[in-house]
Amino acid sequence: MSLAVRTDVKEATATPAEVAALEPKVSVRRLNFYYGAYRALANNNVDLYKNKVTAFIGPSGCGKSTLLRILNRIYDLYPNQRAEGEVLLDGENILSPKTDLNLLRAKVGMVFQKPTPFPMTIYDNIAFGVRLYEQLPKSELDGRVEDALRRAALWEEVKEKLDASGLSLSGGQQQRLCIARTVAIRPEVILLDEPCSALDPISTAKIEELIDVLKQDYTIAIVTHNMQQAARTSDYTAFMYLGELVEFDDTTKIFTNPKQQRTQDYITGRFG
Amino acid sequence: MANIAATPRYHRRRWRDHMATGLAIGAAGFGLTWLVLILLVLVVKGVGGLSLAVFTEMTPPPGSAGGLLNPIVGSLILTALAVLFGTPLGMLAGTYMAEYGRYAKLTMVVRFINDILLSAPSIVVGLFVYEIMVAQMGHFSAWAGAVALAILVIPVVVRTTEDMLLLVPNTLREASSALGLPQWLVIRHVAYRAARAGIITGVLLAIARITGETAPLLFTALNNQFFSWNLNAPMASLPVIIFQFALSPYEDWQQLAWTGALLITVAVLGLSILARALSAKKVQL
Amino acid sequence: MDAAVAERNLTLVNRDAVRDKTLRRFLIGDRVFKTITQVSAVTVLALLAGVIAALVHGSLPAWRAFGLDFLITEKWNPVTEKFGALAPIYGTIVTSTIAMVIGVPISLGIAIFLTEICPERLKRTIGTAIELLAGIPSIIYGIWGLFVFAPWFQSHVQPFLIDTFADVPVLNQLFAGPPYGIGMLTAGLILAIMVLPFITSITREVFDTVPPVLKEAAYGIGCTRWEVLRRVVIPFTRVGIIGGVMLGLGRALGETMAVTFVIGNAHKIFPSILAPGTTISAAIANEFTEATGDLYTASLIALGLILFFITFVVLAAARLMLMRLARQEGR
Repeated sequence: MSLAVRTDVKEATATPAEVAALEPKVSVRRLNFYYGAYRALANNNVDLYKNKVTAFIGPSGCGKSTLLRILNRIYDLYPNQRAEGEVLLDGENILSPKTDLNLLRAKVGMVFQKPTPFPMTIYDNIAFGVRLYEQLPKSELDGRVEDALRRAALWEEVKEKLDASGLSLSGGQQQRLCIARTVAIRPEVILLDEPCSALDPISTAKIEELIDVLKQDYTIAIVTHNMQQAARTSDYTAFMYLGELVEFDDTTKIFTNPKQQRTQDYITGRFG
Repeated sequence: MANIAATPRYHRRRWRDHMATGLAIGAAGFGLTWLVLILLVLVVKGVGGLSLAVFTEMTPPPGSAGGLLNPIVGSLILTALAVLFGTPLGMLAGTYMAEYGRYAKLTMVVRFINDILLSAPSIVVGLFVYEIMVAQMGHFSAWAGAVALAILVIPVVVRTTEDMLLLVPNTLREASSALGLPQWLVIRHVAYRAARAGIITGVLLAIARITGETAPLLFTALNNQFFSWNLNAPMASLPVIIFQFALSPYEDWQQLAWTGALLITVAVLGLSILARALSAKKVQL
Repeated sequence: MDAAVAERNLTLVNRDAVRDKTLRRFLIGDRVFKTITQVSAVTVLALLAGVIAALVHGSLPAWRAFGLDFLITEKWNPVTEKFGALAPIYGTIVTSTIAMVIGVPISLGIAIFLTEICPERLKRTIGTAIELLAGIPSIIYGIWGLFVFAPWFQSHVQPFLIDTFADVPVLNQLFAGPPYGIGMLTAGLILAIMVLPFITSITREVFDTVPPVLKEAAYGIGCTRWEVLRRVVIPFTRVGIIGGVMLGLGRALGETMAVTFVIGNAHKIFPSILAPGTTISAAIANEFTEATGDLYTASLIALGLILFFITFVVLAAARLMLMRLARQEGR
């Protein structure tokens, strides 16, 4: 069955040579994940390419957030959850028990579904992370904070009130604050877990623009239940269903000519 | 990004984290050790004096053998009376706060005052009852002791009743109102039934609270060397006997004090565990 | 009219009459029940008012005889009938302060241990144990303090304290001998052990109100556990922790039995905390039944009024703080 041409999907621009030159920043190999005895992810294999945006889509409960949360081992906080397989960041397996979790999370940042400003001033929210790792003179620290807020497209709106509480901002601004906070510590990978689902359309649009700019410097993975958002913002898309990674390909291909029947059914709205 | 692992700054952070963890574990160990120690001593010393006589003989004069019959019975009577007086009043107040007056200003004030009474010094309650009952009646009595304990029971029952009734989902109430039931029958047949386990738990906790309360009884029910059913006269109770015997120089009295203390602790722990088991069961349902 | 229709009309009329009667009964029942519950609720307020009134009434003779000087006089002489509340007030404040200074950090440590560090399987056992221990009556702590702790303290710890501080300028006054075993410090320590379970369980409850997403966000930028606690969890729950600590303080101030056994019952203020003293509740507990004469009794009741006032202020402030935390959560 042929699909109507989707005009909102980005044109595939990678030439065969460019595709060959793509390096995976993160490689997931034979990943299985368990909540207690229940297997939530079954034998997932996927790559996140450097400086590209990869979207994870699928119906509720398919495991896309679970997969994302493995990439910075935030699941480690909870005793009953465990992962088996390999997740390679720049070639090193981060699932190994020898991995230093704090350092991993400095390299792989995460923005959550619900905006989570810390109970501090706007300035401190950003400076907090930077201060953890580096001892900078005030002028340099100010510069870092401003840089992060500019990258998150928030600087103009808060530059007059850096001493206000982080909680005094609107929902969309709070989320951009969280993005600024993540960016300030200069990670290499940024994970976005349904970052816009709690926001209004205008804030959503601002953040999607942001993602387009951010990918020039960071490798980005985004989980979203909004297919149109995935089509708008990502270069690669992975479709997941019931813990399986069904299909992973160029975004254009997934949305116009998917290989798997299940992918096609989901895209066309047959289920989910 | 620079290789962070090598920075001394990061090592310092790790070190601080380990120190803090160590301190927390140390604090937990230290605190728990003392508490366990107290229980162990209590059991060892208390069991030493445990025998059938404890439950069948009256308190003896110093130097002779005896038991704790009158204090045990006295405590049971005082507790029963306190629950009898305090529970209905507490339940009714809690019912008003959760049902009729849920959003009323009065409820907010009562809740605030009730929470203060919950933690108020019990010796002050004893003084209060002394003033209004003992001084007026001219003598100490079990009635006065029971009233003092009832005043301690009321805040606990008010709190739990209100909390439990607030937990009953409004959809249940709406369903019965839709059948035409007036509010008081909705409360009686639906809300009380749904909150029953919780309210019983509250009563158990209130009993656990007053078991072992000494101060309010010191000048209301006073004490009695002999066995007595007379509610109009002073009545013996376990906590007051323990107080008297422990401070005395007589060894057999001191031994009885330890045994009495063990009995009280077992009763309190038993009631608390029962209360927890009941509320856990309710959740499963 | 048709007979059948007439009969049907009659049944309807009867049914309506029965329904009317029932509805009226419902209405009366509702009014009565509502009034009963309302009166019961007001009774709670009446209790508070009654307590205050009774205490004021009973202590009037003392206030009339001594005036406000009662609060700053140390002398307590039943024979000459000269009474002053300074020593008991001092004792109450000092023992409670010692209890808080020692008990609060340990309670926080235990709460942190239980919420962040303790392995899952042990958490429920230890947590339940602490909650059960919170219910142990204070008289148990009292007799344990007198027969077990005080002798040990007297032979092993107090001499050490006295010797260590003997040459330190200010502290040697604070820790001066002789080692009685019982005294202010002992009472304060027993109180500290007593408030441990209480403050720990409130702090734990307060820690549990932190949204997990917030903690995850902090871990997500690479914070260590201690950093998450110090910079996110504790600022978030600060008001609740203070409220819980103040509730514990309120309990400690009013404690009678844990203190009476080990405080030594001396109506004097000594500079050393190893010396005996008295607290308001201990004084009342020990002397009320033997108090002869109206002035003696009234003075003791006046002590009770002072204690009630102090604890009321502390507990009210604590409740207000906890209410603010609840509102902050959006509850």
